Amino acid sequence: MSGTVPISRAELRERRRARLGPLQGLSHLALVLWTVMVVVPIVWTFLASVKSEDEIFGEAWSLPATLRLDNWARAWTEAHIGQYLLNSVVVVAFGTLGTMVLGSMAAYVLARYEFRGGRAIYLLFVSGLAFPVYLALTPLFFVVQNMGRVPVVGPFIGLNTYAGVVLVYIAYSLPFTVFFLAAFFRTLPGAVAEAAFVDGASHSRVFFQIMVPMARPGLVSVTIFNILGQWNQYQIPLVLLAGAKEKWVMTQGIAEISTSAGYDADWGALFAALSISILPMIITYTIFQRQIQAGLTAGALK
Amino acid sequence: MASIILRDVDKIYAGGVKAVDGLNLEIKDGEFMVLVGPSGCGKSTALRMVAGLEDISGGEITIGDKVVNHLPPKDRDIAMVFQNYALYPHMTVEENLAFGLKLRKMPKPDIQKRVNEAAKMLGLEQYLKRKPAALSGGQRQRVAMGRAIVREPQAFLMDEPLSNLDAKLRVSMRASLNQMHERLGVTTVYVTHDQVEAMTLGNRVCVLRDGLLQQVDTPQHLFDSPVNLFVAGFMGSPSMNFVTAELVRADGGAQIAFAGHQLPVPDSTFAAKPGLDGYIGKKVILGIRPSDFEDSRAAADGNGAGWTRLPVRAEVTEELGSEINVLFLIDAPPVEHKDTVAAQDNDEDEAALPLSGDKSLWTARVNARSHVRSGQNVELVVDTHNLHFFDPSSGLAIGHPANVGR
Repeated sequence: MSGTVPISRAELRERRRARLGPLQGLSHLALVLWTVMVVVPIVWTFLASVKSEDEIFGEAWSLPATLRLDNWARAWTEAHIGQYLLNSVVVVAFGTLGTMVLGSMAAYVLARYEFRGGRAIYLLFVSGLAFPVYLALTPLFFVVQNMGRVPVVGPFIGLNTYAGVVLVYIAYSLPFTVFFLAAFFRTLPGAVAEAAFVDGASHSRVFFQIMVPMARPGLVSVTIFNILGQWNQYQIPLVLLAGAKEKWVMTQGIAEISTSAGYDADWGALFAALSISILPMIITYTIFQRQIQAGLTAGALK
Repeated sequence: MASIILRDVDKIYAGGVKAVDGLNLEIKDGEFMVLVGPSGCGKSTALRMVAGLEDISGGEITIGDKVVNHLPPKDRDIAMVFQNYALYPHMTVEENLAFGLKLRKMPKPDIQKRVNEAAKMLGLEQYLKRKPAALSGGQRQRVAMGRAIVREPQAFLMDEPLSNLDAKLRVSMRASLNQMHERLGVTTVYVTHDQVEAMTLGNRVCVLRDGLLQQVDTPQHLFDSPVNLFVAGFMGSPSMNFVTAELVRADGGAQIAFAGHQLPVPDSTFAAKPGLDGYIGKKVILGIRPSDFEDSRAAADGNGAGWTRLPVRAEVTEELGSEINVLFLIDAPPVEHKDTVAAQDNDEDEAALPLSGDKSLWTARVNARSHVRSGQNVELVVDTHNLHFFDPSSGLAIGHPANVGR
């Protein structure tokens, strides 16, 4: 510590303010608003999950008289949220894994190799971004139904199967994954891959041992993005898993709580179930926060 | 080790741009060959074709006694050093060095031995466990060199490996490169746009321009007898001074006249440059190297044979410590030949004085003892034994062995 001039905290704050200029106040105001918009519903959900029915419909911000942890217990046992949570984890795990493996390979080839039709394939992927999923829900239902009639593998990929849902998730996640990763791979220095070729690496080795590690920030952010997207899917599993209640995912289970009993739903259990589905996402996001930020800014910084 | 032979090699990019045009070059076993030229001259493309990173549009490339046209880079047994180092960012220095050997299925102890040897040679031992991001530019460059060395390839290919380093480091790395080549004796092809690097490193230097080979020779030969205006203007720093002049026969022998000055041309020059006498009474482009000037006060033998006086006014002086660059105006329009223009885009000195108008700005490099200052009049002496003569239309050096009969 000797030799350094002590700087007061106020002075530091002053300096930071000077650096940021007059826009600082406005940007902080916007950030505060944004934070409120994000935090309030989450806090409200968690709060409601430990309240009694009367308390939920009473004062929104009142604290519960006692912690009603039995809401959580009811959600877990009576509404089978445990089973649905497991189903969600399985479907999202395979869905994201498949999306990332296929998407990163496709994006790499489209970004790094010149070949006839490459541009067209890329545009085909990207045009998928503009494709509204729900518009094609009925045809999708019939496509998956027909997949069930494929010999040998049919029973595993048709309606009411995990794999059927996983394949549809992958198909719907690929456009954004390819779009984002192709742009990301283009920003990586080409000379490194060339050095690996000269060193004696094959194309697949260059991809898996050189390019994938270099693209890690981008891969992590897209992975998180895909997990979030697939975790929150409701419409697709609702259509594709309609006939197999034991394979339902989280979102269906939650909806079931509110719809099954008409207006006499178990609201406490509903909020508890919602909390159970939110928690894993918050935990994942917190763990990978740094990588997500790195991935989102990597292209800009170079 | 092996020789590398390029025979009529072409590179035509989509859209018809010809980056390399009928390149013939033989790089001998163990030779250090430098490819030099201004940006866009095709030197990097040529190197990348040897490496196998670029398809060959025509001709044939041989490494050792194997035609490698259709071999992928990994089967050519070459190692390459890139301008931006191209280290694998997620691997430690040690893993970077070992990567190529691992891919060749070399046994572990052998890899260890070679990596350690190379690390020792390059002074990288204490950095082996670090990642490239934790190294300085010079250290990264040494790792890139090490990655090439451990492979013990038939040839090293280097694509401007020093241009990302700062000036001082570049000079010391240049010396280490020279040492390394001396020690390993591996055939090396080195691409640079820096003619000083080319002069100091190469056993031979190959000057390229617009994909066309201009001249291949030892550095001293390139400097002393450039084959055309382009090579003359490109090699040497500060670059050669040019003026359109007339060769005349006067009482005391042949003279070259320009801008009110007359310099005698010694008979030995006519003997050395066959065909020059055919230009008597005609226009030629005269070239004088800045180093062939001297301040008459500082020159010990200012009145010596072959040194002729030339009184000028120093417009600008650049003191370099050991010598002074004197920039002065010659009352003649600048030579606007396509070759001199092409050679100059590498040299910013000339553009520094836009006010020179219809006069050409020349540079003389004189001894620091001269103490000449800007604005002073100074009497320079010229070594008339080293005058260069070029044909004004073709730009070829008159009497150069390669140009006889062209």
